[in-house]
Parts: sequence; structure tokens; C-alpha cells
Amino acid sequence: MRLSEALQVIGQAEGDAQRTVHLVCGFSPLHVETFLKAYLIQRSSGVRVNVATGLYGDLEGNLQRARETGGDGAIAVVEWSDLDSRLGLRASAGWRAETLNDILVQVDERRERLKDGLARLAAVMPVAVAGPALALPPLSILPPTQSGDFELHLNVAVTMLLQQVAQYPAITVLSSGSLSLLSPAESRHDVKMELHAGFPYTLKHAEVLAHQSVQCLFPLPPKKGLITDLDQTLWKGILGDVGTDAVSWSLEGKSQVHALYQQLLSSLAESGVLVAIASKNDPTLVEEALKRSDLLVEPSKIFPVEASWGPKSEAVSRILKVWNIGADSVVLVDDSPMELAEVGEQFPGLECLRFPSDDPAAVVALLGQIRERFGKKRVLEEDRIRLQSIRNTAERPAEIAGEPTADFLARLGAVMTLEAASSDARAFELVNKTNQFNLNGLRYTDAEWNAISQRPDGFLLTVAYEDRFGPLGRIAVLGGYYTKDTCHVDIWVMSCRAFSRQIEFQSIRQLFAKTGAPEIRFRFKATDRNGPLQSFFASFSHGVELKDGELRLGAEDFDRQCPQLFHKVNDKWMT
Amino acid sequence: MDDVREKLGRCFALAFPKLDPSQYATANAETVKEWDSIAQLTLLNLIAEEFEREIDLEEFEDATSFEALARALQVQ
Repeated sequence: MRLSEALQVIGQAEGDAQRTVHLVCGFSPLHVETFLKAYLIQRSSGVRVNVATGLYGDLEGNLQRARETGGDGAIAVVEWSDLDSRLGLRASAGWRAETLNDILVQVDERRERLKDGLARLAAVMPVAVAGPALALPPLSILPPTQSGDFELHLNVAVTMLLQQVAQYPAITVLSSGSLSLLSPAESRHDVKMELHAGFPYTLKHAEVLAHQSVQCLFPLPPKKGLITDLDQTLWKGILGDVGTDAVSWSLEGKSQVHALYQQLLSSLAESGVLVAIASKNDPTLVEEALKRSDLLVEPSKIFPVEASWGPKSEAVSRILKVWNIGADSVVLVDDSPMELAEVGEQFPGLECLRFPSDDPAAVVALLGQIRERFGKKRVLEEDRIRLQSIRNTAERPAEIAGEPTADFLARLGAVMTLEAASSDARAFELVNKTNQFNLNGLRYTDAEWNAISQRPDGFLLTVAYEDRFGPLGRIAVLGGYYTKDTCHVDIWVMSCRAFSRQIEFQSIRQLFAKTGAPEIRFRFKATDRNGPLQSFFASFSHGVELKDGELRLGAEDFDRQCPQLFHKVNDKWMT
Repeated sequence: MDDVREKLGRCFALAFPKLDPSQYATANAETVKEWDSIAQLTLLNLIAEEFEREIDLEEFEDATSFEALARALQVQ
């Protein structure tokens, strides 16, 4: 993004600023502020965003001021001169040996104070932290090609600071490696600008820093599933031509990039990503090949396996049906541009990535791209059991095809557990990624979520589900508040894995029962994706078209329309 | 010169979005209240982008009016 484009984005922003993000730094914020505002506006769908800045040369004070002011997030940029002003170009205290020793003492003290300041700020809002991006001035007597005690000590101090703050759940640290890819070290420093205006970065570095900071602070929801091809993708070779023993993924077979890809798939599967195979191949041969003991991704982590000679888009369609997720949450990796194009035409939202098997460097870049699509900060229990629950569902197709019968539901042995969700990371994740059964499609920042969980008359609960086919984990979230005689619900989402179990009916029944409210008012908004949620309300609307706004549901009306329910309810919410 | 003024006008539109284009010709740091040192730096960077050339901050330090900027750009 050029500076002129950033200013255009800012100029075209609409509405009143509803979010405040702090840019916490010790230099003049200048172009970092401009680019930051532009990227935040883009991330907020064109709505104005307020970027708050602090005082020049006072990083510690700015951290404190940001905490006292409050906001939706902060981006803290630490430069060498914030650790000791003598490490910047605008200082004139001399570079004598005793000065350098004193700098090291000061840096260690400042590091501790910055760590505390960042931790306190992270207690009230999410924080993205960027470490020093500039080269140190030539202070020590060593030639610049050598690293001596002085420089190494400083590097250790910064590494320790970043490593310590990265332990806090609300702090993310920008990757210096990722920053270097787009902003090489030698083209970051604008010396003249630093001396003239106290702004040390080139326009390019300011732009990259702002962009990556926004990605760190407000990451896009990760994709949910990856569908992979086999020949020349999961392994080198054409299975039908060379046979199961001759396809390879090893250094010896000059096919190590396929080994790396398999390792990545295994790691993704461990973190809860769904992995499936769509391959134009002989199903018997594929089954045999997947039994090879040297595969680096366990076949049990791959489900379903679609091997056939039909169009690849049909295989993808079957996989999406089993996973019960939208195409825009899925990535397809295939070596064939034609197959990718065919699937892309049928599923425009599905991201198609080509596996460039003949170009190792491009494969390594692809692995980075894939990791970026699926990156997450933590792995939850639900991530670990997701594949098994999908497998369980798929393995009883006759009974769950369409809506299950009351007799079947009665025999499920279903247990629903309701629990308060004030500091539940899973609840936050579910609300921000669920599309199909979502009351209004609203997404929340960490700060907004914290505020919601602390509403004085509010409630926020998760619903976990388990039946004789296994646990689904926490699959629904309900949130709202009470006014006199009325319960207001403004958050209601349920994972698509939990459909067809009447969990939505039991959830509302429990809400009526626990609150004693004669009426529940839902803050409803139709979206392109929340058809299943609309179907639920349609069963109570008596043929009246649903409109955005407040939907009212009376207890008596609900009881009349509610089907027979068989769940055992384990109430940990209001006990 | 017209080309310089047209490009400079585009820079002014972004740096001073509240300023009416009819006022560009007479605009200077004293009459435009948003025209502070930060705006001057933004303006010079926009000029660098628009004219695809390096701008020496010190050389343009005193060019704090539309006319002065246009003259400086024309000379170079």
C-alpha cells in the first residue's frame, strides 16, 4: 500500500469510530500511524478507527497512558532508543567504554520495566509487540562485521523481553523473520527522517510494520480444512503407473519436499485442522499406499479419503458434506492447474493452491502460505476431538440421514452441559468463526468480548454435548442480559457439527427455565450464511417473514412448538 | 507547469482533504490550519510518490505554500 492509497482509505472511511487502537512507541508515529489507521479501517470493513498515540521518547509512559485510557488493542513498537536513548542517532552522550557499560546496565533495568508495562497493558487489551527493527549505531570498537559482548548482550536483552511477554495470552510478538521477508533490514532506516523529524523508518518499512501488526493484533479466523491431492503432491510419482512401493517422499528419492508437506499436514491435523484426500486414482491402490508404515502423516488423521475417477469437484463436494463446513473455510492443494481450476469454478470461495513439485523453493514458500492460513495461538480440547466426532457422525449415515427420528434421539444418551463462559477461549473462538447457526453474524475483539463477559446484568454460557457416539466438546455459546421480566439474547452460535441433535431447542428451554422469563428477545440479523439459524426461528414465526431486529419468543409459544427432547442436562451454570 | 500543478493538487487533496480545490493556489502553512510540520512531511512524501522522485526534506523545508512547492518542483 502506498501512502496515497492509505490516505484514500482513511478519507473514504465511514461512520463514527467505534474502535480505538493505541500505537505505543517512543518515536514520532507519523507514517506508521497513517498506515496503521488504513489497515485497521480495511480490517473493520471501512468503518473509521481511532488510532491513539503518545508522547515522543516516552515508551514506558505511553504504555501506562494506553492502559489508563482503555481501548480495543495496542501495537507496541520497541526500538533500541527505547531501551536506552543513547542507542539512537539523536543522542549525544558519547560512545566511550564506560558509557557502553552503563548502557548495558540501563538496558537491563529498562527491559524489566517494559516487560511489566506490557504485561499490565495486556491485562486490559490485546497487545502486539514489535522488537527493534533497526541496526545499532557503531558504538563499540569492534568492526561492524563482528558481534562482541556489547551487541550480544543487547540482543539477549531484547530476546528475553520478547520471549517473556510472549507468554502472556493477550500478547502476540511480531515475527522478525516474517518482517524481513517484506522489509529487508538494509532498507528500513531513514536516517535523514530520523534526524529531521524523529521518525526512523522508510515508508516501505512503516507500511510493512503496520500491516503485520494489524495481522497480529486482529488475525483473520483460520481456515478449518485442507483437502490434498496424492500424486505429485502428498508424494512424488504417479501411483497408478509406478505402484505403491515406488511413490516416494525422501531425500534418497529426491522427493524430500513431499516429506516436508506430509509433516506439515500431520502438524495441522494435531492442531485440529481437518485433512482429507481428493484424488483421481484407483481406490484400492490408494488404500494400499496409505498403509505404508513410512508415511509421515498418520492415515488415521486423514478423513475422508475420496479416491475415484470422477470430477475432482464432486469429490470435494462429498468431503465438504461430511465435514459440514463451508467451502470458504477450506483450502485445496493439488499439483494440477486444471484440477484446481475445475474445483475453483464449482466452489468460488474455496482457496486453491498449486503444489509446485518441481520447484523445492516454491514448495517451502507454499508450506509457509499454508501455515499462515491455519495458524492459531492455542490448541483447545475441541480441536483434538473434532476429527473423531466427524468420523463418528459419518459412520452412522443411515440413522442421521436427514432429520433423525425421535426414537433415534431417545436412544442417543445425549448429555448437555451448561457452564458459565466468562474467560473461556473456546467461547470467544466459536462466536468469531461460526457462520451457519449464528444469531447475527457479529464478530468481537478481545476488548469487546471482555466487556461483554463483565456486563453487570449479563450472562454468557457455553453448551457442551456428548452422546453414545462420543463427545463434541463445547459447541454452542449463548450470551445476553436481563431487564425486568425479559431475557435478551444478543449472542447465540452453535457449531455445525452439532446440528440435528435438537441442542438449539434444549438450549432455549433451559434459558426459559433458568431465567424464569416469560419472553426472550433475540437480537437477530439475517446474513448470507445463517440459514440454519433462520430455519430454527421460522418454526416459531407462524409463517411471518423474519426481519432484522428484535425477535420475540414467548415461553408458552416455545413450549407449544418445541419437539420432544431427550437430553440429560448437566447444569453447571446456575447451580 | 500545468502538469506539475495538477499532480500537486492530487497531493493536496490527500494531505488536506477538507481544503476546497479552489483554494489550493493560495494555500500556505499560515492560512491552512492543518498544515503543521507533520502535514508538511506527509505532503512531501506524497509528492515523492506522485512525482516518482526523491525529495530532499531540507531543500523543501521552506516550501510551505502551494506556489512555492510548484516552483521548486518546476525548477527540478
